Amino acid sequence: MAWYAARRLLQMIPVFIGATLLIYAMVFLLPADPIAALGGDRGLPPAVADQLRAQYHLNQPFIVQYGFYLKGLLTGNLGTSFTQRPVADMLAQAFPTTLKLASMTLVIEAVAGIGVGLWAGIRKGGIFDATFLVISLILIAVPIFVIGFAGQVLFGVKLGWVPPTVGANVNFKTLLLPAFVLATASFAYILRLTRTTVVENRNADHVRTATAKGLKPGRVISVHVLRNSLIPVVTYLGTDVGALLGGAVVTEGIFNIPGVGNLLFTAIKRHEAPTIVSVTVFLVMVYLISNLIVDLLYAVLDPRIRYA
Amino acid sequence: MTTNTTENTVSTAAPLLEVKDLEVAFKTQQGEVKAVRGVDLTVYPGQSVAIVGESGSGKSTTAHAVINLLPGTGKITGGSIKFDGRELVGAGAKDIIDLRGKEIGLVPQDPMSNLNPVWRIGFQIKEALTANGVDTKQRRQKLTDALVEIETTPSGDDLYLGHEGKKALITALGNAGVDEAAVAAADKALQVGSTTRAQAAGILESAGLKDAEAVAAEHVTGASATDRVAGLLAEAGLGDAERRARQYPHEFSGGMRQRALIAMGLAARPKLLIADEPTSALDVTVQKKILDHLEGLTSELGTAVLFITHDLGLAAERAEHLVVMYKGKVVESGPSRQILKAPQHPYTQRLVAAAPSLTSRRIQSAHAAGIETDELLASHADSGAQKRGDNVVEVKNLTKVFRIRGSRPGTGTDFTAVDDISFGLPRGTTLALVGESGSGKSTAANMVLGLLQPTAGVVEFDGQDITKLRGRKAFQFRRRIQPVFQNPYGSLDPMFSIYRTVEEPLRIHRVGDAKAREKRVRELLDMVALPASMMRRFPNELSGGQRQRIAIARALALNPEVIVLDEAVSALDVLVQAQVLTLLNDLQAELGLSYLFITHDLAVVRQIADKVCVMQNGKIVEQGPTDQIFDTPSQDYTRELLAAIPGASLEIGPEVPAV
Amino acid sequence: MPDAPQTTYRPGQAHFFADLDQTPLLGAVDAPDETSAPTSLWKDAWLQMRSRPLFWVSAVLIVLVIMVAVFPQLFSRTDPSFCDLSRSVGDPRAGHWFGFDFQGCDVYARVIYGARASVSVGVLTTIGVTILGVLIGSAAGYYGKWFDIVLSRVTDIFFAVPLLLAAILVMSVFSTHRTVVLVAIVLAVFGWPQIARITRGAVLSVKNNEFVTAAQSLGISKPGILMRHIIPNAMAPVIATATVSLGVFIVAEATLSFLGVGLPASVVSWGGDISRAQSVIRTAPQLLLYPGGALGLTVLSFIMMGDVVRDALDPKARTR
Repeated sequence: MAWYAARRLLQMIPVFIGATLLIYAMVFLLPADPIAALGGDRGLPPAVADQLRAQYHLNQPFIVQYGFYLKGLLTGNLGTSFTQRPVADMLAQAFPTTLKLASMTLVIEAVAGIGVGLWAGIRKGGIFDATFLVISLILIAVPIFVIGFAGQVLFGVKLGWVPPTVGANVNFKTLLLPAFVLATASFAYILRLTRTTVVENRNADHVRTATAKGLKPGRVISVHVLRNSLIPVVTYLGTDVGALLGGAVVTEGIFNIPGVGNLLFTAIKRHEAPTIVSVTVFLVMVYLISNLIVDLLYAVLDPRIRYA
Repeated sequence: MTTNTTENTVSTAAPLLEVKDLEVAFKTQQGEVKAVRGVDLTVYPGQSVAIVGESGSGKSTTAHAVINLLPGTGKITGGSIKFDGRELVGAGAKDIIDLRGKEIGLVPQDPMSNLNPVWRIGFQIKEALTANGVDTKQRRQKLTDALVEIETTPSGDDLYLGHEGKKALITALGNAGVDEAAVAAADKALQVGSTTRAQAAGILESAGLKDAEAVAAEHVTGASATDRVAGLLAEAGLGDAERRARQYPHEFSGGMRQRALIAMGLAARPKLLIADEPTSALDVTVQKKILDHLEGLTSELGTAVLFITHDLGLAAERAEHLVVMYKGKVVESGPSRQILKAPQHPYTQRLVAAAPSLTSRRIQSAHAAGIETDELLASHADSGAQKRGDNVVEVKNLTKVFRIRGSRPGTGTDFTAVDDISFGLPRGTTLALVGESGSGKSTAANMVLGLLQPTAGVVEFDGQDITKLRGRKAFQFRRRIQPVFQNPYGSLDPMFSIYRTVEEPLRIHRVGDAKAREKRVRELLDMVALPASMMRRFPNELSGGQRQRIAIARALALNPEVIVLDEAVSALDVLVQAQVLTLLNDLQAELGLSYLFITHDLAVVRQIADKVCVMQNGKIVEQGPTDQIFDTPSQDYTRELLAAIPGASLEIGPEVPAV
Repeated sequence: MPDAPQTTYRPGQAHFFADLDQTPLLGAVDAPDETSAPTSLWKDAWLQMRSRPLFWVSAVLIVLVIMVAVFPQLFSRTDPSFCDLSRSVGDPRAGHWFGFDFQGCDVYARVIYGARASVSVGVLTTIGVTILGVLIGSAAGYYGKWFDIVLSRVTDIFFAVPLLLAAILVMSVFSTHRTVVLVAIVLAVFGWPQIARITRGAVLSVKNNEFVTAAQSLGISKPGILMRHIIPNAMAPVIATATVSLGVFIVAEATLSFLGVGLPASVVSWGGDISRAQSVIRTAPQLLLYPGGALGLTVLSFIMMGDVVRDALDPKARTR
């Protein structure tokens, strides 16, 4: 187990370096002049452009530039926004909110997705199964911003159950609607994945053996079917954190939640490239770390991995 | 259905299991398909009965219907299943659940897939105990309470030694001044969770303890479920049971897993054990050990066993009563010896005549009686005889070492798959490489095929070292040696039509034009006795035996001199297997082919091979002419392999029963 | 019976054998069935798909969407860029069934003309990821060793950057060259790892088949085996996944346009229209619902098709 964890950590290092290098290269080696692009249609004041060139060591070779960038990243220096606020400070302020939203979303999608998926898998071919298969397809097909606006108008404006926007007032109640909106697509994916693995596991030989031992159906389902089906679902939840953070950009924008996604949302609207880069890299880091946690969790769930 | 029975019966105890006119159907897109059609079956308490049949005969379906574990859309559509006087067809779900494990145990077929990979072995066995109300703490408490009141010890059969109890007994032995060797022997004999009070008393006594019975009564007071799990594993023949119980299935070998499954099936001491091909996935020697052990255990416990098997030899050896099934019906049933001696139904007659284990046994009896056995053999082609004497393939000191990567850095090890082997394949004959899984026989075959570079040694083909061939010459060499593999489902490209499959070798080696190639494909299909109309079909429409015949046709396309048959008939049903073996034999006679026959199945070897090499752990332990290896084996391992052929204990005359 | 042995039987266990006319031996051993019509895997898959209503629903929708994307003028004669502020958020009227948006453009025409951008991005990106993914995935899976180690690590790196975040990042640098092709390239560059992983897995399982060893024994070269035997057999899960991702990429493009880093306002696109409908969402939600619905329906048709294809091609996932 310790070796497994160590190996995973070691494997993360090249992926991290590679991913940041990739992002850096994509933004700074593109044919378009990044500094000129920052100004958008209005153009950039020459003083700001010079300052930015110095800040990003643009007169140095690429790999040196990247070295400076990585050094800044590791020392927590993520640069400053146009308003001269350190991006790191902005992230520190916004991240707890996003974390709240993301955890609520994860709980909603996992509980609902696994629950519905399990039931649909057990009652495969039934009316419940068929209904939720269609619902899941629709939820996957309709983009999150359409669902977000629809939810906002329906529950926030028409019905008035929840405030339509969050603003500074971040709490469980105000985050509930955004969390549900953010959870929709992943809920559908988890439902489908759970259903597939439950159906597969229910036909597994070892489940038949468990039944032949004289176990009650409830125990067969919970101890042998569900337990084994959770392994791929947990893996999915890990990779889903990435989609969640990407989706949070839209959701936080729509509901005006002061989180990391919103930071990115407003930075995009204002064409603040340095902030966009820093926030994206931060989100990629969060994603990598959550994947690492899931990998370790995976080893806990599947004993075969620990010794592999 | 009651025709043709010999009504000469004796009445004994009531049957344990009585299946009458059972019908099982599966719903498919084409409508209902009947898998079992009017099966009758009777099992008496403590008796062993075997259902024999090929794949698709409905044998497993019948067994699964008994404990209501039919897969998918399967349903009992008629008949009755009586167990211990109770009707099971239409019984409530709860009654069936109560019955499973407690009264009817199951040992499933494939040990690799029948244990849940995420739970410890001990946990899974303990489940079988608790689910059936055996050895829960409550029951143990009740028993000890009762014993305190009654004072007199009952037979002690229901009380097992716990691990604290064992410690106390060993201490008692030490205190009594028993010598160390005896203590060690007792330590070994006393098995936590399995040794009963009476047995413990016996062990203590033989160790030299005077008041053995009283000491046993004091300390053997019942085992916890965990101790009992260890005891069950030990009873199933697993050493170091307490540690093993804490391991996961992937840490077990196939044989160990099967023992764990036997422990599980017998955990709640059922009256009937259904053993569904319990050892088909295991090596022959392991197979024999496990079956012997199972036999001992069930006869000791008085458990009735219902074997499900495809191997008539195994069935006849392990069961007193046989039920032969074909296409969902019972074609013949009766006492094993009678069925072997005088099979009545043509299907049974074919089966008795074709089963390799029985044929092998027959040849043995013939040799014992001094009779020539050529008509019993599938092989011995004479056309190659004039060329005999020179070896078409000569393997010298062949070695292959693989590097195995460890789970931690620096823990890689070298694994010698093939260890300095030498043999020659005489032209026009069949040489068998026999061994169990991991013996290196397939690795050796791949090196002979030139698909794997040896670490050391040479493979000479017609005097030419093929390991040194490169480029054009290596490509040319391919025409002279071709393989046929084991898995009929993996050996043909599912995307290629039969025509493309058989034509591919010709196209790759630029033989003839399109027209000539089509003619050749027709010719080849004809050689393997398949109609030319098969050309436009795809492998998924063919049966296993037909696919193997296509694979043989593909191998023959380039007129090779040597064919490497890597377990080529192992996955086939008995009759189909016999048919393919006959085909191979005819082709050898006709074309003067030489076969390198790789197999784990000694019984088949006897029918086809001229020469045998027995492999174990990468080495050839013994080689020689087939009759010599079978009649006068010189190595223990060879003898063990021979003894493991099912049916070795049967008394069978040399003659094939009249058809 | 010729020689009835003197054995005693327990009830129900007498020597029994069935009447031959009740249990006829079905012809010669293992005789091929020549009567059934020949089928191939593809034909089987087609027969299976054909029997599902979901297939027909999604097929009709996909054909319709593609028709609209290729020939929008067949469906609307109104110019989507002809806008008249005097009609701002105007109600539906004859010839303008969906009414007018904030700028006074015809909503129906914009929905029709918006299909082209979405479908082109979806199709181009899917072609891109499939080529990249199959090339990289099959090379990694088939050649193995260090080739696999390097390519798998590269795949991991691209996989570590979430698609949407990467696209936002890169697109935000381009303020001028934003075109359909650029969006497709950006999405393809970050979207291929999924196909690569699936291809690699499929290739790994195919390459262990004995027909591959048989092909080696024929002397076929490694690339030859890869092209002739392995890739065709590994394509089933790739095709199913690619069909689903087509829908996913359409959503991604719409999201980018919605965020203002996708296609510029000059290109008629559903995402852009939805973005502009935001400002009047409380008073005129229909401006959001028309393009949103069109987008959802398009994506749904591809996802449903992917589902049907997967069921037909992948026997493991097939609903038994």
